[in-house]
Amino acid sequence: MADKGKRKRRRADADSDEETRLPFKNKLKPDSAILEILKDLTAATAAASSSSTKTLTLADIDLDAKCREVTELNLLSVQSEIESQILKIARSILAGNGFGFDVPSRSATNQLYVPELDRIVLKDKTTLRPYANISTVRKTTITTRIIQLVHQLCAKNIHVTKRDLFYTDVKLFQDQSQSDTVLDDVSCILGCTRSSLNVIAAEKGVVVGRLIFSDNGDMIDCTKMGMGGKAIPPNIDRVGDMQSDALFILLVEKDAAYMRLAEDRFYNRFPCIIITAKGQPDVATRLFLRKMKMELKLPVLALVDSDPYGLKILSVYGCGSKNMSYDSSNLTTPDIKWLGVRPSDLDKYKIPEQCRLPMTEQDIKTGKDLLEEDFVKKNPGWVEELSLMVKTKQKAEIQALSTFGFQYLSEVYLPLKLQQQDWL
Amino acid sequence: METGSSSEGSPEPKKGKSKTPRKPKAKDSVLKQKSPAEFFAENKNIAGFDNPGKCLYTTVRELVENSLDSAESISELPVVEVTIEEIGKSKFNSMIGLVDRERVDEALYDDHETAKARERRLAKEAKAQEIQAKNAALGKKVKETTASKGMKGRGEASFYRVTCKDNGRGMPHDDIPNMFGRVLSGTKYGLKQTRGKFGLGAKMALIWSKMSTGLPIEISSSMRDQDYMSFCRLDIDIHRNMPHIHVHEKRENKDQWCGAEIQIVIEGNWTTYRSKILHYMRQMAVITPYAQFLFKFISDAPEKNVTIKFARRTDVMPPVPLETKHHPSSVDLLLIKRLITETSKQNLLQFLQHEFVNIGKSYAERLIGEMGPDFSPKMSVKSLTSQQIVRINQLFRQAKFDDPSGDCLSPAGEYNLRLGIIKELHPDMVATYSGSAQVFEGHPFIVEAGVSVGGKDVKQGLNIFRFANRIPLLFEQGADVVTRTALKRINWNNYKINQTQDKIGVFVSIVSTKIPFKGTGKEYIGDDISEIATAVKSAVQQCCIQLKSKIVKKIQAREQQERKRNLSKYIPDATNAVYDVLKEMAQLHASKKKRYENEDAEILKKVSAKLITKETLRQKLAEHVEKVDYEMALEYATHGGASEEPKEAIYIQSLETEPKFIDLRSPIFVFRLFQ
Repeated sequence: MADKGKRKRRRADADSDEETRLPFKNKLKPDSAILEILKDLTAATAAASSSSTKTLTLADIDLDAKCREVTELNLLSVQSEIESQILKIARSILAGNGFGFDVPSRSATNQLYVPELDRIVLKDKTTLRPYANISTVRKTTITTRIIQLVHQLCAKNIHVTKRDLFYTDVKLFQDQSQSDTVLDDVSCILGCTRSSLNVIAAEKGVVVGRLIFSDNGDMIDCTKMGMGGKAIPPNIDRVGDMQSDALFILLVEKDAAYMRLAEDRFYNRFPCIIITAKGQPDVATRLFLRKMKMELKLPVLALVDSDPYGLKILSVYGCGSKNMSYDSSNLTTPDIKWLGVRPSDLDKYKIPEQCRLPMTEQDIKTGKDLLEEDFVKKNPGWVEELSLMVKTKQKAEIQALSTFGFQYLSEVYLPLKLQQQDWL
Repeated sequence: METGSSSEGSPEPKKGKSKTPRKPKAKDSVLKQKSPAEFFAENKNIAGFDNPGKCLYTTVRELVENSLDSAESISELPVVEVTIEEIGKSKFNSMIGLVDRERVDEALYDDHETAKARERRLAKEAKAQEIQAKNAALGKKVKETTASKGMKGRGEASFYRVTCKDNGRGMPHDDIPNMFGRVLSGTKYGLKQTRGKFGLGAKMALIWSKMSTGLPIEISSSMRDQDYMSFCRLDIDIHRNMPHIHVHEKRENKDQWCGAEIQIVIEGNWTTYRSKILHYMRQMAVITPYAQFLFKFISDAPEKNVTIKFARRTDVMPPVPLETKHHPSSVDLLLIKRLITETSKQNLLQFLQHEFVNIGKSYAERLIGEMGPDFSPKMSVKSLTSQQIVRINQLFRQAKFDDPSGDCLSPAGEYNLRLGIIKELHPDMVATYSGSAQVFEGHPFIVEAGVSVGGKDVKQGLNIFRFANRIPLLFEQGADVVTRTALKRINWNNYKINQTQDKIGVFVSIVSTKIPFKGTGKEYIGDDISEIATAVKSAVQQCCIQLKSKIVKKIQAREQQERKRNLSKYIPDATNAVYDVLKEMAQLHASKKKRYENEDAEILKKVSAKLITKETLRQKLAEHVEKVDYEMALEYATHGGASEEPKEAIYIQSLETEPKFIDLRSPIFVFRLFQ
């Protein structure tokens, strides 16, 4: 309806019909030109990653503070680690000293952003979690129980979900957030990644596009997965043999935008891999993205909402979350480019006022807090965009682009963005 | 007599008077042809006489406050008896000698039930009965149907006789007519902390009685050293602002009674204002624990009757507030002019020095020097021109003066506030705090606060009790500085108090020579005065800090009791988990699938041999818990947690009152030396 009205009005202006419906479309060069640009980008990324073949690790840089990092452990080592913990506990109990755990603290004060690595790492502060203390007795008991359950998993070599784990002792755990938190504690205590514990989260992320990989031995072609794409397998160790002729990876914050791109077969017009975690990314998606980036050496471009949370999600992919900073080396994907929707795009693409939302107090506060974060500060372009957002006090979702038609995103916005190399 | 006046309703105020009628002179010049009594009759909402219900409330309140003032002025512990007696219409008519008339033309009346309305009502009643019968048949508990209320039209007024008897000073025989029959004549006009507003209370009640019932007021009074009792029956001539005396005589005082008793018949509404009046009495009892109140409500229906006695809890009275002089920063032109006409001082220097606080001789000289060349210390103060007075006023605004001291104020006192709260609310915990005197626009004020947790008849959440110059404020709570502060600016969680679950009582008493009320009703103090808002916040916070330590102690004590149980609760879960892993390991060890070394191997062997079982682990952990619990209990005891807090002493009223003692007073306690 609105479109029709617009068209009528515009006709009087003697503008082209096409331009009326999809503004800026006439600025688009032919796809071949854009493909050339993208090829350059891919080549540059590949060259950059091959020149510095080895990514920096904590050991490579001299840090003042001692840091804690976990490693991928095989089942046997996890099992032995658990057994030595349990034996220590048993000896302590038998000696009449009760028992306790030395748990690495995952509080905000124990986190450190390392600019050289471009990710958050965990410092080495630990807190004692004794059994015979009224405030820690519950957590200590839950920790013991979780360790025992993980030991069982290792012995039997099976995987369970976090939900499964919770249901093994609902009476003790009370709600899943408690067993989930302790699970992270346990991986810190044992010094292994969470995936080494054989506990996985339910599938959340999906991937579609020019990617072929093997999942537990089965070859998957992500161009032939229908519209929904392939669910990202929860245990990354089963994934291998990645092949692709894509030019870039497109990271999408939201399911809706992902659906649009998948249905329009955007990856066939511009060879790419499209991935989303439907909001805050889970461990599996982050691991998968990292694996793709490392093995395929493709540039990663991100399409997120123009609000503080969009940027926050971007940062979780890029630098890691505070909750799981102990495993940031395995979970983070370096060098993600912010393609859109950026605060400056709102005016650049003339997104009408009614599609923009005023930021709430909470949004503005989050925005201001983000401006103080190191991972934002290191990128002057991001600081500029975020400052603009806080200043205009306006936010917009990716869907705001639908105001020019549902396919505007895939037909005009993204191609134009790519053509102009408009990423930060 | 103006019998029909009640149905006329009150004339609405013609225009909002922004100026408070504090200064009678100003009022006189504005309303040349109107007597003050007429003005207040028309604008009675200013004094809190908005509607019949509120009028009843305000009448009670004014009489009680007068009684308290009167008793305190002679340092007598107040005993106040308030009785409200409901008077039915026919009784009222017979009182004024009016014959009850039967209605002849039914349709003339507003409450006449038309045929249609009756049909509807009957249908409804029939339906209700049917439902009831069904319920009864089904054996359900039958709710007693509320008898359909007798239709009450708007002309149907209720009348009440309000009697207030005290043991105060009484009134001089000859002054009684003027004290009641002349508006804006009073004893409370000086600059001091007073309960009364502008000497209006009893007179407004009289004006209201005249407007609603036309019945006169009856006053009995006797002063100390008088061998007679004064009796006076009078009403007021509103147009001339003069008392109209019916009887004024001396009677025999049989039982040496001393005090005053005032009886007045007014229109009111007990049903809607019952809770307000009872709240008022209760809060008054909180802030005045040294007084004894007896409140009675009497009506024809015995089940509606109420008798409440608020007993005395202490015999320590706050000192009588002193009259003070004005602070230079609080005066205005009119006030300076009035002070000039009233002063006994001759020259300007003496005038400044003696009619204001915080101006010493040398400072007065400096001020006069600053005023300009046409001022001199020796000039006659009465000869100042209007321009010169404006100059003085300007200088007063700009010059710097020391803050007035709070000595002239009479706060309730932390001790009394505390007792009042304990007496009326029986809280689990209470903390009080008394702030130091502070200043707003040249008027000193003191904020005292109390915070209680728990108690009887206290609802969950915040219960706010506001007092200004030691009288409770009940209306317009929402915008008040105390309410706002308690709701918005205190983070109760910080003090381990749950704002929604706990029964919190917040008591704030503000005393000042001038309370900066907002609105005409003088029922609340605005939130825009930062000095007062800050003082209230810090006073409440001080109370909360005191409470916090008590609450933390209480939580600790509870933890103390529950610690062992809580620690023991998880022993099976923890030991089972450990044992399960051990057992698994032992099996692996036995089947030689995995090798373990030395100590570890030994433990596993014992597990296989059932030398170490679930039970062993359980016992050992339980022993450990026992040990830790004992240690912590010991630590708790050595830190004084176990010692009980001293209990509050009980106050027992003395049977015989032979005042043979000397009081040594301090702001927080009183030493009493008996001889």
